[in-house]
Amino acid sequence: MARKEKRKSASAGAVSFNMTPMIDIVFNLLIFFILTSQFTQLEIEQVNLPVSFAARTKQISEYRNVVINLVDPDAPKCVVLGQQVDYLVREDDNELSAMLKDYKASLGEGKPLNVILRADELIPYEAVASVMLGVARARIEGWWITTEIRDQDEILGE
Amino acid sequence: MPKSDPPKKPEKIQPPMTPMIDIVFQLLIFFLLIPSQSGEAYLTTNLPRTSGPVAGEKQIDVKRIKIELQVPEGDDKGVVIVLNESRNFGRNFEGLLAALQGLRERGLPPDHPVLISPWMSCRHKWVVRAFDMAVAARFTNVHFAVPYI
Repeated sequence: MARKEKRKSASAGAVSFNMTPMIDIVFNLLIFFILTSQFTQLEIEQVNLPVSFAARTKQISEYRNVVINLVDPDAPKCVVLGQQVDYLVREDDNELSAMLKDYKASLGEGKPLNVILRADELIPYEAVASVMLGVARARIEGWWITTEIRDQDEILGE
Repeated sequence: MPKSDPPKKPEKIQPPMTPMIDIVFQLLIFFLLIPSQSGEAYLTTNLPRTSGPVAGEKQIDVKRIKIELQVPEGDDKGVVIVLNESRNFGRNFEGLLAALQGLRERGLPPDHPVLISPWMSCRHKWVVRAFDMAVAARFTNVHFAVPYI
């Protein structure tokens, strides 16, 4: 009799958490991060970035950005969201500046847009200057050049 | 008459949740940390102006510092640095940095305009390197020359 009572009181004291809502939230977060990381990957092409000691890390997700990739130093190509875009200088807007103007207009008045350039370190300046001009024509507020960070001594010692 | 047993309640199947939660948390931490560990950084620069000065805008009459980046003959991946069309540093960026720091010490303000003017075939990494030197010498008003304008 005493034994039975003891068992009963032990089972009454066990605390069990309801795990279901926590697992729901965790799965939602997981799906969100998996998908956003894939979208970020879509914007980025494989390039050998130049090194810099003056560059600063930024939380780019806090801004509205368009990533422009300049790949293949021997025959430079401009790639935006996986699509090759014409960036060569013309009298009027080229495909790149027209695309940026459209995108900026779709954001609405007063919403700043940044352009992030990811250019291979061996790309000739001609291609970079053409892209700069296209971006300037679209009246973009922010212009960032992507680099890899190194120490000053390491760069000067090269 | 033997008394029949009451019908048994179906046994509640509860798979072990702990390993699954462990894995899910590991994945969550992984995807949270990936963006901050990409190792990429950004140089913020000024874009060229595609229009002339606005009416009423003050024209600043100062002699800007010009860093020309030439490409040596027979080495299309190399660079020759020329400061203010007179001082040739070859490929010596350390010398360029010292010269720019000297200009600052002689009283040039941080917002004194610096123009980086690369040849069309100059490689992007040398342009970024020159920009680095100007920033290291604490110049804040650094532009790139765009020949089409």
